[in-house]
Amino acid sequence: MNLRHVGLIAKKELRGLSQERTILLAVLLQVFIAVFSSFLMVGLASLYDPSTLSRSVSAEYAVGYAGNESPLYDRLEAAPGLRVHRMDLSVAVQALRERKLSAVVYVPDTSPSGTEPVKLTLYTLQNDITASVLNVRLKGVFEAYEADLRGLRTDRIEERPLPLRVPTPRGAEFYEFVYGLLVPLLVLMPAIIAAALIIDLITEEYQQRTLETLLATPVTFPEALWGKIAACLVLVPLQAGAWLVLLGLNGIRVAAPVEIVLHATAASAVLVLLGALVSLHYRERTSAQFVFSTGLVVVMLLALAVPANPLNLIARLSVGSAGPNHWTVLILVTGVTVLFAWVATRYARTVERAFLEG
Amino acid sequence: MHPVLTIAKFELLRSASQMRRDLVPVAVGLFVLLLLVTGFAAQSGMHLSDGLYTVGVDDPAFASVLANDPRFVVYQADASLLARERGTLDLVVVGGQARAASTPRGQAAQKALRQVYDGYVASVYSAEPDLFAAYPLWIDTEEVKSEVDFSATASGQQVGLRPDTSSPTPEGTVEPVSEPPAGIGVTAEELRRELVQDATSDDRLNRYTDVLQGGTMGEFRTPAQLSPPLPFDSIVLIFVFIFPLYFTSQFFMMSIMNERIDRRGEALLASPVHPALVLLGKGLPYLVGMLFVSTVLLVVLGAPLVILAVLVPVILFFLAAALLIGMTARSFKELSFVSIFFSTVATCYLFFPSVFANVHVIALVSPMTLVVYALQGTPITLSDYLYSTVLFYLVAGVLFYAGARNFTEERLFSQSRPLTRIREFISSALSDQHPYASLFLLSALLIPFVFMAQMMALTLFFNLPMPWSILLLLVSAAFVEELAKSLGLYALFARSERFRSWRVLVPAGVAVALGFLAGEKLLLFATLAQITESVFGTVLFTSLQALWMPFLLHLGGVLIVGAAVLAGGRRGYVPGLVLATTVHVLYNLAVLQGVIG
Repeated sequence: MNLRHVGLIAKKELRGLSQERTILLAVLLQVFIAVFSSFLMVGLASLYDPSTLSRSVSAEYAVGYAGNESPLYDRLEAAPGLRVHRMDLSVAVQALRERKLSAVVYVPDTSPSGTEPVKLTLYTLQNDITASVLNVRLKGVFEAYEADLRGLRTDRIEERPLPLRVPTPRGAEFYEFVYGLLVPLLVLMPAIIAAALIIDLITEEYQQRTLETLLATPVTFPEALWGKIAACLVLVPLQAGAWLVLLGLNGIRVAAPVEIVLHATAASAVLVLLGALVSLHYRERTSAQFVFSTGLVVVMLLALAVPANPLNLIARLSVGSAGPNHWTVLILVTGVTVLFAWVATRYARTVERAFLEG
Repeated sequence: MHPVLTIAKFELLRSASQMRRDLVPVAVGLFVLLLLVTGFAAQSGMHLSDGLYTVGVDDPAFASVLANDPRFVVYQADASLLARERGTLDLVVVGGQARAASTPRGQAAQKALRQVYDGYVASVYSAEPDLFAAYPLWIDTEEVKSEVDFSATASGQQVGLRPDTSSPTPEGTVEPVSEPPAGIGVTAEELRRELVQDATSDDRLNRYTDVLQGGTMGEFRTPAQLSPPLPFDSIVLIFVFIFPLYFTSQFFMMSIMNERIDRRGEALLASPVHPALVLLGKGLPYLVGMLFVSTVLLVVLGAPLVILAVLVPVILFFLAAALLIGMTARSFKELSFVSIFFSTVATCYLFFPSVFANVHVIALVSPMTLVVYALQGTPITLSDYLYSTVLFYLVAGVLFYAGARNFTEERLFSQSRPLTRIREFISSALSDQHPYASLFLLSALLIPFVFMAQMMALTLFFNLPMPWSILLLLVSAAFVEELAKSLGLYALFARSERFRSWRVLVPAGVAVALGFLAGEKLLLFATLAQITESVFGTVLFTSLQALWMPFLLHLGGVLIVGAAVLAGGRRGYVPGLVLATTVHVLYNLAVLQGVIG
């Protein structure tokens, strides 16, 4: 294989990309997502863990208290962010309907130390963000009251869990979402774009009937194929690196950027070669994309089901807890790449022979 | 057979003949493989956040509890060794006390430890013979429907926040509410079964599947189970509906693109059938396919079929966009990039507002909010439907019109630059005989796009702190309007030397301003009444109070851009646009001062 020819084809494809300027859209997209990641942080992170919502809203909520006297009233009164009012149940519920209260608690006449459970009734507003925020606050109060009641009934409990005191964590709401989900997925996006690109580059030669012209030049088909693959792969570390820089600008620092980019590039080499094989076989964009996308879902699911998969390693590398084992996985993935590369090259040779003979 | 059906049949046959013979068996094989892998993944779990934290434990019993969570790498050692190694670990648990490193990772590990410990405590207590000693407190949640509508939250009025200490007194008549009975009415064993089920199932995954099954938990919860009643779960399901639609519209895009390769579409163009009918026929199989897939999904998920009515405008929008992308892309690469870009922006538009379903009226910007409502069992009113889907219907219609109008040899096989092509497409809507009438119509037709762009800006900006959200909204709204108004005029000037004169400028400007105003008024009165009542609406649509003031404003903007283009040629366009936007923002600020202050 003539490396100069490979480089020539790669340069031609990259020039084509930059001339069409539509690759700017991919860049624009990256910036678009990065700029609005503040939104992603609030919106998506609460989707991942709804209890984060309570911190973003700091206000005092009025709560109605009806029914029997209980230590719960004092607990509610002592809780920050809540204001309790002793009220008649019917009046309180009507006040809730008019949004003058944000919740009503009804406490029945049950003995705290008896055999029956204490059943509270909590009235909240249907379909309202207040209910979500308030539930988080009330949960803590109720848990404290539950502990009180449990204390009163403690001699009837046979096996107690091992005691453990865990201090309240500070500012860790988004940590797992960002590093355990966002970073690996964002870094993988360039790999998927690169794989879509190789399908376009190969099927276009067939469908626009430019393959004959290409093969009439001194460039062989395997060389042309590798030129295209190289053009796609060059973009991956650039895009992945850009993501890491953008994340850094947003205050999300990533521990081992170089290793992450290496893993992303190796993983996308597998995907790009897979895309190349599929499009060499189908020679037509619609079929190739259909088979590749379905195959991609299979490969991704399979990878995620295996411990120490590249996505997991990217997450661990980004928080700095990967250990040296990730090199082994990187070598394994590279091994798969080499295998695929060999198959793709052989396939390209067969295609060329068939083309020249027939 | 109707020509549309004939073309639809032809489209189906051709795409079948283009496939290689092994595509169907391969697809079936991949599908089987997908099922197998899904089963395997469900068994072994998702290993995405494995081994994020390191934790040292002195108690072997705790070590085995923590080892159940793959997020932790657990080391068991005696207390003195752990004390020495504290610096290298995220978390140390010695003598029943957890100590975390003060790094962000240490704090996150502590948060994860809490979750694991809570789960462990629940598993011990739920095995207790006297369940009501271990779980003495149960909560029954009753939801009350608010009498105050969304406009209360939209105008920034907070709920239940009162500065005074006296009990609130309701204004309406108090209906007697019967006191709930003290008894729980369910046996301890039933509750225990639910507790165990709740503890063993994967919490995060369960939340998403539960939405459609009505939840596994009964009405009674322990305090620990009191999680916020958020609509977010159903939002995740939105992706399940959108992805197949996006996927199928890709095929349509490709089919259109294929007509342009090697001038294959000549045969279709030569047929005596109107281009609109040709496109309808070509799109029909995909439309039917998308409806079919959606119906199957709804039936499989057990979701209400009303959702189909919400998906129809989204499907039409996707198909119309696919048509135009397929007609304009110059190469496969361009097709990929443009379609990825379009789908991301469209997904943002559909997804972001529905995060605020149940919270803010803004949510209704996206039809997907209606899907959330339908999944929750909230009734959808006709005005809700109209409000959130009308833009999709209109934009789809206008895009389809543009596609049909430009389905000609000249447009399909041209290879000019994207911006030139956009200008050519717009220019096709103008007529040489009636330039002013067509400018009027074009401006009115652009209104749905303007509203969509403004809605997008609104959803992105409204959660920023107050002065910024208003300011950014003002500038972006003004810019979008000025851009839309100038498009027709620019296309007219570029069309022919005849129109590029100062004599044309004023009547053309009047036509554009009138068309814009008419379209804006019509659409606003039809649909957007809810948004216009909030403070954001005042910002977006200030120009609607009186008729002659906004007319002068629109006219002024068009004249500025037009004059800049006449004076400076193509290079004058951007500065003209900036100047017009500035004037527009200043005008809106002045009106706003009068409205608010």
